[in-house]
This record gives sequence, C-alpha cells and structure tokens, in this order.
Amino acid sequence: MTVAVETAGTAVNGGDRVSLLRVLGPAHVWALGVGIVLVGEFTGWNFSADKGGTLAALIVCWVVGLLYTSVAMIDSEVTSTVAAAGGQYAQAKHIVGPLMAFNVALFLVFAYTMLEVSDAILLGDTIVAKAGIDGLTHNSFIAATIVVLAWLNYRGVLMTLNVNFVITAIAYVSIVILFFSVSPWTQGAVLKLNELVTPGNALPYGWIGVIAAFQFGIWYYLGIEGTTQAAEEVRSPARSLPYGTMAGMITLLIAAAMTWYVCASLMPWEYLGITPYPLWDAGKLTGSPLLENLLFVATLLAAIASANGCINDAARAWFSLGRDRYLPSWFSAVHPKYRTPYRSILFLLPIALAFAFIADLNQAITFSILSGVLQYTFMSINIMMFRKKWPLGSIRRGYTHPFHPLPAIVLFCLCVVTYFAIFLGFGSQLIAMIAFYFLISVWFHFYRYKFVRRGDQFSMPWPKPQGY
Amino acid sequence: MWIALSYACWGISIVLALWMLFDWFKVDTTYSEGVLTSSREGELEAVSEKHRI
Amino acid sequence: MSRYTPPEQSKTGQIFDIVVVVVAIFVALWLPLKLGLAGAAKSIDALDAKTWEALGQNPTMASIWEKLGYTPETAHDVIQNRFHYVIDWPTLIIMAIVLIAYFVFLFRASDREYRDVIIEKFEDK
Repeated sequence: MTVAVETAGTAVNGGDRVSLLRVLGPAHVWALGVGIVLVGEFTGWNFSADKGGTLAALIVCWVVGLLYTSVAMIDSEVTSTVAAAGGQYAQAKHIVGPLMAFNVALFLVFAYTMLEVSDAILLGDTIVAKAGIDGLTHNSFIAATIVVLAWLNYRGVLMTLNVNFVITAIAYVSIVILFFSVSPWTQGAVLKLNELVTPGNALPYGWIGVIAAFQFGIWYYLGIEGTTQAAEEVRSPARSLPYGTMAGMITLLIAAAMTWYVCASLMPWEYLGITPYPLWDAGKLTGSPLLENLLFVATLLAAIASANGCINDAARAWFSLGRDRYLPSWFSAVHPKYRTPYRSILFLLPIALAFAFIADLNQAITFSILSGVLQYTFMSINIMMFRKKWPLGSIRRGYTHPFHPLPAIVLFCLCVVTYFAIFLGFGSQLIAMIAFYFLISVWFHFYRYKFVRRGDQFSMPWPKPQGY
Repeated sequence: MWIALSYACWGISIVLALWMLFDWFKVDTTYSEGVLTSSREGELEAVSEKHRI
Repeated sequence: MSRYTPPEQSKTGQIFDIVVVVVAIFVALWLPLKLGLAGAAKSIDALDAKTWEALGQNPTMASIWEKLGYTPETAHDVIQNRFHYVIDWPTLIIMAIVLIAYFVFLFRASDREYRDVIIEKFEDK
C-alpha cells in the first residue's frame, strides 16, 4: 500500500490519493467545540427554567456541567487514541462494532443537523424580531445562513474554522462585557436576583421540575464532543484534541455561570422560560442601547458559529459512513482542490433547509438533544469496553483520563435521569426516535452490512483486543 | 432596508448554491471516481504512530 | 476463515439505498411534527382575576413585565401556561423497555459483527 503524504495544493494526477488536509491547531479545535455550543447560552438553556424554575436552571447548569466534564474527559482519552474523521463513529467501530458505529454516526448527523436547523431558525427569528416589520418572514435569512455556511465549508476547513474562531471569540467577549457592565458585585442597582427568585418561586414544580429541567440543561453544552470530528484534519491530534476540548469545557462552564446569573437577575422565570433570546433580552433590560445592540449581534454571531461547526461535523460523520461503505461509497469523495467531503456537505444542505422551513425552534432542539443523549449513553459504555479490551499500557494513549470508572458511571446515571426528563413532556417524541433508530439498525444489520468489507474497517495499528 | 436585506439573502443563497452545483459537476466530470474516493481512514497513523510501548 | 468479499453494489442499488435513508430521516423527524406529538405538554390554568398580584408577581417582577411590553392580561397566558408533571407509568415502562431493547439489540448485533472483523483482521495474516 502506498501512503499518500499530502501537502497543501498538490495537484492530483492519475495514481495519487486525495485525503482531508492536516492544517488545524488547538485553537481551531477550541473554535469548533465552543463555536457549536456557545449558541446554547443565547437560546435554549433558558427553556430549563420553563420546565423547573430559575433555581432548577442553575442546578442543572452545574450537574449537567459535571456530565459534560465526564464526556470531555472520556472523549479526550478515546479520541487521542482513535484519531479519525467521524470521531465517535470511528471509536465505536474499533471498540464496540459496526452496527453501533452506524448508529453513532446517525446520532451525530441528526444532533448536528438539527442543531444547525435550530441555529438558522434562531438567526432568522432574531432578525425578524429586530426588524419588527409586518410581512417579513425568516425564510430568506435561514436560507442565506445555511447556504453561505455550506459554501464556506465546501471551500476548505481552515478558512471555515478561522472564521469560527473570530466570531466565537466576539460572542464570548460580549457575554463577559454584559456580565461586567451590570455591576455583578452589587445586587439591587441593575440586578435584582433576590426579588426575582424568591423562596416561593425558585422551584415552582418542586424537585420533579429540577429533573425535568435536565432536558434543556443539556443545551448549555451540547456539541462540545464535536471537537473529535476534526481528528483527521488536526496537525497533532493526540495533543491538540484533549487540549482544545478541555479548554473549551472550562470556557463554557464560565460562560454558563455568567449567563445564568445575569439572566436570572433580570427576568422573572416565567418570561425567561419562554423567550427565544434570553441574552438579547437581558441586554435590552439593562436599558443600555449599546448593550442591547451588542447582544443582538452576538446572538447572530453565536448562531452562525454554531451552524458552521455543525455543517463541518455532520458532513464528516456522513463522509466516514460512505468511506466504510456503510452508506454508498459515493459520499466518501474528497474535493481534489479544497480537500473537503464536498458531496456530503451538498447532500446534507437540502435536508437542513427543509427542516429549517418546517420545524420550530423548540422541536428542532428536542430532536438534537435526543440524539445527543443517545450518544452519551453509548460513550459511557464505550469507555468501559475500551479499557477492558486494551488495558492501560497495551497501546499508546495520547491522554489518559483520571478516576476511571467514576466519570463513566456518573455519565451513565445522568443519561438515565435525562431520559426520564425527556419523558416528562416529550415522551412520545423519544419513542418515535428510538423506533426510527431501531428500524434503520435492522435494515443495516440484515441488508446493508453485506456491502461492507470486514477486516478493512479496523484501521488502527493496534494489537488484538483482549477477550477475542 | 430589512426587506432589501431579505432579497439580498435570497440572491446570495441562489448564487452560491448554483456555484456549488457547478463546481460539483466540474469536479465529478474532471476526476475519476477512483481518485475522488481514494481517502482511507487511519493512513497517517499507519506511518507516524506504531503504538509500541 | 476465508476473507469476505462484499458484492459490488450497482448504481441503481446505491441510489435506492440513499432514497431509503432520506425517506427514513424525513419520516422520523417530520411525522412526529405532523401528528402533533412533538412539543411540550403544557396547558393554561386560567385565572379570573387578571392582576399582577393574582398572577403571583411582586412589584419588581411587574415592572419588568411592563418594560417587556406585557399587561396582566397578555402576561396571563404566559404565566399560567404550566407543565403538569404526572408520571404515566404504562408509558414510562414502555419507554424504558423500548430503550433497553434497542441498546441490547445494538450491542449484541454489533458484537457478532465485530468478531468477524477481528478474525479477518488478526487471523488472516
């Protein structure tokens, strides 16, 4: 086998191979992870206040923060060892088996595509709300967001993530500016936390509301695990991926805490729970036009950064499915000039557009969360199997996470709680989704798998797993 | 102004979508399917990382 | 064990498989929307007296609602629109069974496929 060592801009002639380009550094990994997630502070997390009250939103912010810290730790270990596009998909293929990998890739594509749809809807609705003109609909803004970002992704990963880095940083800084301009150290002047959150309304539904709030608490951090999709394009995955993911997680925990504090101190929980743009509203309620406009722009930028990262991730997961013939190999084409999985990007574009036109924000978010939680359940079991099949010392790991198996157990328990939370209010949607995954799994196992080459799927240069 | 922006958005979307379709068509007719789908998982790892302790 | 050589899939077969997947995605995501299954189960607990006090809002809260452009009448439907958490045991049990059955099938079928992969990868050489 000849191994193509790729350099940027190499012309492709007859016998050559085209593959994705290794150009990214840790900052891009951070931009991909935080870029996707940060929009959750601008919309979505606050629906947890609707489900359980303001205090419930704070409790889940921390508890779900713990869930995601486990996700980030587990993911860093596995992905610094299995560094391939497709991220968790390639992990599942090497550790659990083909059918699991197929499902994980679908979780990824669904979670990211629906997140992209939510971002586009948020952006469209925010502009329409700002304009306040009768007859202006959000469709044109949705179309522009999805198409322009698909084009950016089509043209190359480096520019895509450079753009993401800049806009994510601006959106993040705007949260920090908002936080410090409302004098967070003195309550009463602008912030009125103790008058808005009283013992009587802090937990309006009691503890069951706290559990129900888990569903949207996920939205504070959903997508941070997407950093692994860049594995094949990062210059040194074993070092950059854990570093970028952990830095991203710390950044997000700080942002989530600041966002809760400012929003809870400015709005009654009933309003906080239903507004599509809590931070923009917070900007308005400070009375400063400067802050209002800053947060308006930041909401748009966060939505753009997120949709951008989602297109990147969903396309890579779909691409990997094609490369292993889990789906027709047609999807595994790499653009010879831009080195992107261009057919996958183009294929997912109309699907995202269609859902952005027919679904509403709340529903798209729920679809995305559901696929996310299914994936985290898989991750908790996956790490246990990984440590059992290849114990420490049997292969070289880029990063080894501490306290194993505690993070895996914590993650698993929190997933169970989240399923129960989704059941409270969105139960039939959950059953419909599982039915879909079940049927498509049957299709894959009994029909589609016959087109897959067996031994070739295992591409890592590892020793034989223990117990086989 | 917002209405104009809305039309501009439709315009940009259509232009970029057509450009992508055109580029797709160009690439698919210029290169053989074998070259386009020649990417393999784990190629770099096979050379750079031996996983020996 | 001999090496498994998969059949080459025809162009038509490839297109057909893509169509199957796309249709499945649309059915799974769009059908719940269409049937009205998606979305939270909330309902309005109507109140007769539509004042800020009756709605449980203190003066600070009321001033914020007004800043946001609400009156007690318009805020009523927002504030009184509540979740009613009742644990419907049969549905919960069905959900748990479906979820567990799905994961059990996933891991067991994956394991069978995985053993073939490992045999071909490590014992052919």
